[in-house]
Amino acid sequence: MERREVAAWVAVGLIVIGLPSAVLGYQHWLRLAAAEQRVIDIQAYAPERGGFAPDAIRVAVNEPVTLRFAAMDVTHGVALGPGLGVDLGHIDPGKVKEISLTFDRPGTYTYYCNTWCGPDHWRMRGTIQVIDPANPDLLPAAQPDPVIAALIAEGVDIDAQHDAGRKHGDAPALIIERPPSAQRGATLFGSVTIPPEVSDPAWRRSHPPAHVLELLRQTNRQAPQADLIDVVAYLWTTDTAPETLAAAESLYNKNCAACHGQTGGGDGPAAGTTAEKPVAFADAAYLFERRSDVLYAKIRRGGMGTDMPNFGTLFTPEETWALVEYLWTLPVSALPEPR
Amino acid sequence: MLNEGRFDLLARAPLLKRMLQARAFQPALMLATLAVFTLAILTGLAGTPAGSRNFGIIFVWIVWWALLIVVLVPFFGRFWCTVCPVPAPGEWLQRRAIVQRGPARPWTRGLRWSRRLKNMWLQNLGFLGVAVFSTIILTRPNVSALVLLGFLLAGVVLSALYKNRVFCRYVCPVGGFIGLYSLLSPVELRVADPDVCADHKTKDCITGNEAGYGCPWMVFPGNLTRNVYCGLCFECLKTCPKNNIVLNLRPFGSDLMVAKERRLDEAYKAFIMLGCALLYSVVLLGPWGWLKGWANMESLPHWGLYALGFVAFNLALLPGFFWLAVWGARRMTPARQPMRRLFVDYAYTLIPLGLAAWIAFSVGFVLVNGSYALSVLSDPFGWGWNLFGTADAAWTPLGATLIPFLQVGILTAGLLLALNTAYKIARQHHAHHRPAFLAALPVSGFALITTLGFLRLYLG
Repeated sequence: MERREVAAWVAVGLIVIGLPSAVLGYQHWLRLAAAEQRVIDIQAYAPERGGFAPDAIRVAVNEPVTLRFAAMDVTHGVALGPGLGVDLGHIDPGKVKEISLTFDRPGTYTYYCNTWCGPDHWRMRGTIQVIDPANPDLLPAAQPDPVIAALIAEGVDIDAQHDAGRKHGDAPALIIERPPSAQRGATLFGSVTIPPEVSDPAWRRSHPPAHVLELLRQTNRQAPQADLIDVVAYLWTTDTAPETLAAAESLYNKNCAACHGQTGGGDGPAAGTTAEKPVAFADAAYLFERRSDVLYAKIRRGGMGTDMPNFGTLFTPEETWALVEYLWTLPVSALPEPR
Repeated sequence: MLNEGRFDLLARAPLLKRMLQARAFQPALMLATLAVFTLAILTGLAGTPAGSRNFGIIFVWIVWWALLIVVLVPFFGRFWCTVCPVPAPGEWLQRRAIVQRGPARPWTRGLRWSRRLKNMWLQNLGFLGVAVFSTIILTRPNVSALVLLGFLLAGVVLSALYKNRVFCRYVCPVGGFIGLYSLLSPVELRVADPDVCADHKTKDCITGNEAGYGCPWMVFPGNLTRNVYCGLCFECLKTCPKNNIVLNLRPFGSDLMVAKERRLDEAYKAFIMLGCALLYSVVLLGPWGWLKGWANMESLPHWGLYALGFVAFNLALLPGFFWLAVWGARRMTPARQPMRRLFVDYAYTLIPLGLAAWIAFSVGFVLVNGSYALSVLSDPFGWGWNLFGTADAAWTPLGATLIPFLQVGILTAGLLLALNTAYKIARQHHAHHRPAFLAALPVSGFALITTLGFLRLYLG
């Protein structure tokens, strides 16, 4: 056989067998074996097509690991929580983003999609179990959330139909004719008698603004109701630092706005897909009858039968409280100057 | 007279002749395209399902398609068939050789291809079959890869069963339209003197000799008057002991006037190609989202309706309207030829129009989506690679303002060539200018209305 004939057959072999073997061998074995640290490839499909693959991974404490997320079908966003502060942003189809990190204590974390990617977007989550190599089967038990535990102890039914027995959309018990102005409330604050307990932020978290409005009415009988509403709005929007609110706004936009709407109108692009119409936080009359701690519990635990997912495995309690504080700003027309 | 007004490239460029005569010429090019083809299949099966980031989709349906329809077919005829990797494995197994001249007896069952299938009908149906699934094939890398793999396997199987390139000649849906549109190309392989071939006893170009194989396309170069079935493999250039093969440059569209070999299957190929270009433009560029949904198989019953409509339009509706135009021509200026003959002859008017339509259609999406090629070159699988530093190249649509002008120019050129062809065909049936002019009018009207339809779709 001529030399060039041999060369041609070798070329065919290299193309038909060598090329696939080299490419697949590199991608699925050599690349991983040669990496300085463990690399975990995670493919992101829309939840209707399976979500994350794999959707559960285990890493060891203090083990440097690289997570590579590839969007396989539509644009996804990937964030890791709670408390990791990792947000990879958008990943377009066919693109890959990666993060290298080291977990310093055992626990359970979540990687999740934070870009609306389909009707079941909120189901798109995966779990990272960080284990102690010395006790690989021993993961820290999930601690009950003290706020939720207190609500249960108090007998508050978190899943009650938006308490007061009134469904969202029914005529509100409280009539608020114009959006409350917290800025105006700040100027009126000094001229209004405030019951001592109302000044306590912790007390306010467990009482709805409507209740405080009633207290203010009793102690300020001459004041117009609109003024008192503005003062209440001021009280409920003045405790959080602007940068915390900004971070909460980002969390809200990525995780809540798809259903609840970017301005809290309950009219996000996915609003029509949920079992129950999403709450409109921008509706002051509705929101003024809510308690912060119940909102907190609802965010962390989710809402039974409403398609409201749980975010307790994604956000820290601090992030959740910040999110609640942000919700109070949605029905308010003008915020006060930061204190 | 044969070769009159032609420019013989081989006589003027001896180096080109030596290159084409070299046994390694075709296999070297095929190996290069086979590598790209293998990568396209591999990326389709193992790479990202996102079509815009998958080498298999971008390089096959944008880069290759643009190269084929905008450059190779109009200017080089069947040159793609010279380098096409699809029949290569089958042919190499059949010959038990790649470069050198293999054993005299090919490694095949040597079955006889049915006489009934010695035409373009299988290619017509194959193209229609691919076309009704095209929105799926063109966007889903795994489906696209399976189709390419299917072509490859069909080539191997047919090579094992039959001698020569039965797959290319009678089955390949792509080869069918390349052959038809190569009638227009300015390149042709012919013989210098047909009498030399007629007098030549051994007919080495058919039987083969130690220098090369008998024509794998089952064509006798001595009778070659059109490009349709010559695959430009250049085996005859290697085997001809009389130095009688020429490679000519010639005016565009010369083969359209070769009347004696016009056939109904080729006429239907012209209808199918024009019809598919029109329907693709309607589905992909038109404002009817629901139609896109039907074509994308969002629901099977709707896709069934779409497929039925697609096939009916190509096989019945478009030829039906054309039949009416030809009937009108016959009524206006009675011709001696039967209606079927006129129908087939005038259908060749649609060849330049169809090719122009495909170029205009392709220019639009190729310029808009061509920039994806940079990105997938560096990251062919969508695995996060960056081989050449271009993986993050942004999608940049090119020539957005220029595209409509290009499309108008291309379609106008196609229409003018079609009108010219219609008149020339009419002159083959009518000795004098006036009846020929009148006879060409209905067909020209058909071509004009079709062109206006394309312009309406492209210009909005």
